[in-house]
Amino acid sequence: MLSLATRDLARRLLADEAAASKSSLSAESAVLLVYEKLRRSLCALAGVAGFRSLASRALTLAKADAPSLSAMQVMADGALQVLVEPESQSNQYQPDEGGVILLAQLLGLLITFIGETLTLRLVQDTWSDAGLDDFNSGDGREA
Amino acid sequence: MSTQDKVTINKLPTGVPGLDEIAGGGLPEFSFNIIAGAPGSGKTTLAHQFVFANASPERPALYFTVLGESAIKMLRYQQQYTFFDPAKLPDSVRFINLSQIVLEKDLGAVLTEIIKEVEKSNPAVVVVDSFRTMVRKSQNGPSEMDLQSFIQQLALFLASWQATTFLIGEYAEDELRDNPIFTVADGLFWLRQTAERNSIVRKLQIVKLRGQASVPGLHTFRITDAGLQAFSRTFGLSGHKRKQPGSKRLSIGIPELDKMMGGGIPEGDSVLVTGASGTGKSVLATQFIAEGIRQGEPGIVAVFEERPQAYTDRAGSFGLDLVTPQQDGKLLILYLRPLDLSVDETMNEILEAVKKIGAKRLVIDSLAGFEMALSPGFREDFRESLYRMIFALTGIGVTILSTVEVDESFTEFPFSTYSISFLTDDIIRLRYISVEGQLRKILVIIKMRGGSHSQDVREYEITSKGMVIAGERLKDYQRLITGIPERLNRSGEKEELPRKSRAKSKI
Repeated sequence: MLSLATRDLARRLLADEAAASKSSLSAESAVLLVYEKLRRSLCALAGVAGFRSLASRALTLAKADAPSLSAMQVMADGALQVLVEPESQSNQYQPDEGGVILLAQLLGLLITFIGETLTLRLVQDTWSDAGLDDFNSGDGREA
Repeated sequence: MSTQDKVTINKLPTGVPGLDEIAGGGLPEFSFNIIAGAPGSGKTTLAHQFVFANASPERPALYFTVLGESAIKMLRYQQQYTFFDPAKLPDSVRFINLSQIVLEKDLGAVLTEIIKEVEKSNPAVVVVDSFRTMVRKSQNGPSEMDLQSFIQQLALFLASWQATTFLIGEYAEDELRDNPIFTVADGLFWLRQTAERNSIVRKLQIVKLRGQASVPGLHTFRITDAGLQAFSRTFGLSGHKRKQPGSKRLSIGIPELDKMMGGGIPEGDSVLVTGASGTGKSVLATQFIAEGIRQGEPGIVAVFEERPQAYTDRAGSFGLDLVTPQQDGKLLILYLRPLDLSVDETMNEILEAVKKIGAKRLVIDSLAGFEMALSPGFREDFRESLYRMIFALTGIGVTILSTVEVDESFTEFPFSTYSISFLTDDIIRLRYISVEGQLRKILVIIKMRGGSHSQDVREYEITSKGMVIAGERLKDYQRLITGIPERLNRSGEKEELPRKSRAKSKI
């Protein structure tokens, strides 16, 4: 179960990315930017295959809560791709909450595997200005 | 070349308690090392301990992972160890995964990537885990010459960039001869674990270490919540100067026995008290410790067959207060019962205790219990290990009194079932005798390396005050040590024969 705190962490990263952008950033772009930064950081740590496995799991979990993500898939290099099918225009990717859920699931998996402390240190390495010192995932796991 | 002309090789802490001493003071800076061993032998944990002991934001550690344990899982498990400091990630300790490059490209690309990361980070420590999987993959492609060239260039580059390097690999010992990696390496650390009946015995060997003298041989190590802990065969005392024996005698707390030993036990001696069950070995040992404390000499009692509380209570029943000195830090009773111990681990415990309270006296009660507490694999080496232990402890001036139980025989007079009398300076033999319808007790000093001693056979009793030697030597009997003595009449002739004895003495 995804904690509210982990969703909040995802939102903070999106907000930080939006704030850092010189131009107005769409919600979809913000999600993709955050995801891409996480991908780069985690591929360096765990390798492409390692990241791709995590991302696929996160997307599967996120799709259960956000059907709008059904048009998304994780590519071989771990990148996120939106598949737009003409017959399912009504079910297109809605980046706002679906994006938050996807990022939160990815962060939640990291917290599950390596703990909150290490996850935050990895995130802070990329988003040093995000002010995450007060973060507590609230899932009861020890870092 | 004079000493001042020689380059100074800095020694880095390994982060593994006990390993610095085995390595000769630490790991040579800028050395290129291999950690080899079977899966599960502790290679990755050893590398992590070194990394966390040496990495800093200015000189970080780069930990390259390759096709082995996934980095995520490695972090998941390694953070369980107490040495793992999450605050060091990622500024001081950086994990970089090379799997994709290894899978998709050649060794040249791997080298390029390592060089790029090293030049970017200026690391003090570089680890490649597992180097073996990388090489195995590459063996399907490049030639042996390519491989040798890769190793050569990697070693050269990392040394030039002032990095101390560990390559981790699952190597078999028969590869030592032909694999070029072992030729290039400055240091080779081999970790082994073997199953001995129901126990696991872990040992490490520094097969080679250029530039300094490491302690040769196999050293026991254990993996606990704190990571690896190594126990040197020399017990960390290799650099210590052996204390010269003095003339001081230590009282046992049994005046007549002190007299029989020429004034007590020579300081720094190893004494063996041997006898059958119930003859009072532990009582004598307790009096020895209690007398030491009374004279201001802190003591350690290593018990294997009963718990410290029971030991303390039993001493109390003889009027010997072991509670107060424990509270005052003058006495430590170590309960070393868990199975699978190695002598080296036990020694480490004892040495730590000796250092902690400045102990002058040590009781090991008993050697049989000690042996039982060891892993079966270590029992084979018991005598040799015991020799090292006694030599090390007496070398720092500790006087050791060990008890050992022997089967009471009315046909033989064995000192000990362990054939360890050569390890001891002095031997006190206790035994039962059958006299006048009673089972009584006698003692005799078998040997004292440090000088003359009484030849008397004396009778003793275990009273409410402990062991008490009563009366003169037993002049009216012969064949006392057979256990079935014969009484002599006034003219010194045999008076009666309780029964025809076939006893023989081993004295």
